[in-house]
Amino acid sequence: MKSIIITNNPAVREKYRNVLFIDGSVEDTLIKVRDMVYQGYELVSHPLAASIRMMYSPYRSVILGRQEAKVDFLYAEIIEDSIIKYKRHTSHRKKDVTNSDDYQMIDLILLEAALSEQQITW
Amino acid sequence: MKLEIGRIYIKDIQLGQETSVKEGVLTVDKEGLIAKLKEDERIKDVSLDVAKPGEKVRIIPVKDVIEPRVKIEGGNNGFPGVTSKQAQCGEGKTNVLYGAAVVTVGDVVGFQEGVIDMWGEGAKWTPFSKTYNLTVDISVVDGLTPHAHEETVRIAGLKAAEFVGLAGKDVTPDEVITYEMGSIFEETAKYPNLPKVLYAEMMITQGLLHDTYIYGVNAQTILPALLHPNEELDNAVISGNCVAACDKITTYQHQNNSVIEDLYAQHGKEINFLGCIMVPEHTTLAGKLRVSDYVLKLAKMLGADAVVISEEGYGNPDSDLLMICKKCEKAGIITQLITDECAGRDGMSQPLADTAQEAVAVVSGGNVSHVVTLPPADKIIGNAAAIAVLAGGWDGALLEDGTLMCELNAVIGSTSEIGFHNVTCRLY
Repeated sequence: MKSIIITNNPAVREKYRNVLFIDGSVEDTLIKVRDMVYQGYELVSHPLAASIRMMYSPYRSVILGRQEAKVDFLYAEIIEDSIIKYKRHTSHRKKDVTNSDDYQMIDLILLEAALSEQQITW
Repeated sequence: MKLEIGRIYIKDIQLGQETSVKEGVLTVDKEGLIAKLKEDERIKDVSLDVAKPGEKVRIIPVKDVIEPRVKIEGGNNGFPGVTSKQAQCGEGKTNVLYGAAVVTVGDVVGFQEGVIDMWGEGAKWTPFSKTYNLTVDISVVDGLTPHAHEETVRIAGLKAAEFVGLAGKDVTPDEVITYEMGSIFEETAKYPNLPKVLYAEMMITQGLLHDTYIYGVNAQTILPALLHPNEELDNAVISGNCVAACDKITTYQHQNNSVIEDLYAQHGKEINFLGCIMVPEHTTLAGKLRVSDYVLKLAKMLGADAVVISEEGYGNPDSDLLMICKKCEKAGIITQLITDECAGRDGMSQPLADTAQEAVAVVSGGNVSHVVTLPPADKIIGNAAAIAVLAGGWDGALLEDGTLMCELNAVIGSTSEIGFHNVTCRLY
């Protein structure tokens, strides 16, 4: 299946070719995902991680699939809610820059888990 | 399936030269355990310590908590499929060092949190401030991949629990609890008029530091699987999740799953408890759709009238929780959800990342965004640098006297989504 990874994680950009790199924050990345979902792209992986600590990660990668003619409202709702949640949890927090390398590594590993899941799914 | 859990009450813990329980005092053979763990050549150093309720001790960053046990009859000792050969869990007799816990420490990545305070304000929020803790701090040899590092610490914790548990082999338990349930057909024949209730236990299964294992199988790779409740109460399920401190289900909490305990207590009285479905939480939406379809299908096949669903983690798993809820409710199967809330510091914001009008019976394990104030400890077990991660959350989080403020999110087991914790609800 054709997919594209929207990411601000340099480690992902280095390793994969089908990447749209966002030179910006996680919020910028999620907003780009939102815009593309409204252009009809399928949301393959969930925009949020599975724990609050990963919400503090300065890096995030999201997989999008095919572009369809119509917007899927389930995807639109998920990305909109995710952005609201992300902002709520991070607006009062300082960026954790000390652990940037670890966050890059874990974001990459979780992305790869999603990619391998996708292989057996599609 | 019949399981007898024999509780040996532990009232104190100490390091010594033998591993034994005498009059409730657990002694751990320090050198013996270190030698045992160092059989794994990936381990460079092992540091053992004890932490008792009331001591001004802070343990950080906690990876997992495990209850030490020994198999007396049936199955295999330890954790079948992981530290011992495959065997059926959930049958026979198991002795438990009740009140003791093995706490593994060791950061695989720099941003791990997970704090246990044994005294004061912090102790109020974690159930593991009340256990007599053997802390096992593992440092690994250079050059290990992050996956190998995580596995090394995870297995070391399980082996330590097995080693310590042997102390209970020849001790007469203070209390024996029997968990017995026949086949679904037998139980339904016994209680034809009681509603049939399934328990769907969601598990974080998304990759490194976000994993759960059943009989050693990485649950990321499974379809939702039916387990006899006794299996989980008898070491079949292991946590490899060490990022979501407040709502991760530690191995200890799997071994003592409160939802299973409560459903068992009502079995034959209010409900007919059918069993557990272990539900992996995927990162892809396709995975979430598949899993929710599958849970519904199993519930229908088993003729369930209701499903109790507990979540693990926060964020993308909220979608799975509500997908299962919606699908079951639409099929006429009543659902009851257990989750925790990320409702902002004042508790006033929408608690989950997702919503559904079908979710009308929801139990909250607490608000992870609640801010707690933790005074400085006399002694740190683990890595003091991890405190800087906690203290670095926002400007003003660290006071001059060393007192730090953090969200409940960082405290192990503080907002358990299976109800194994200290927070409760009060009408007023």
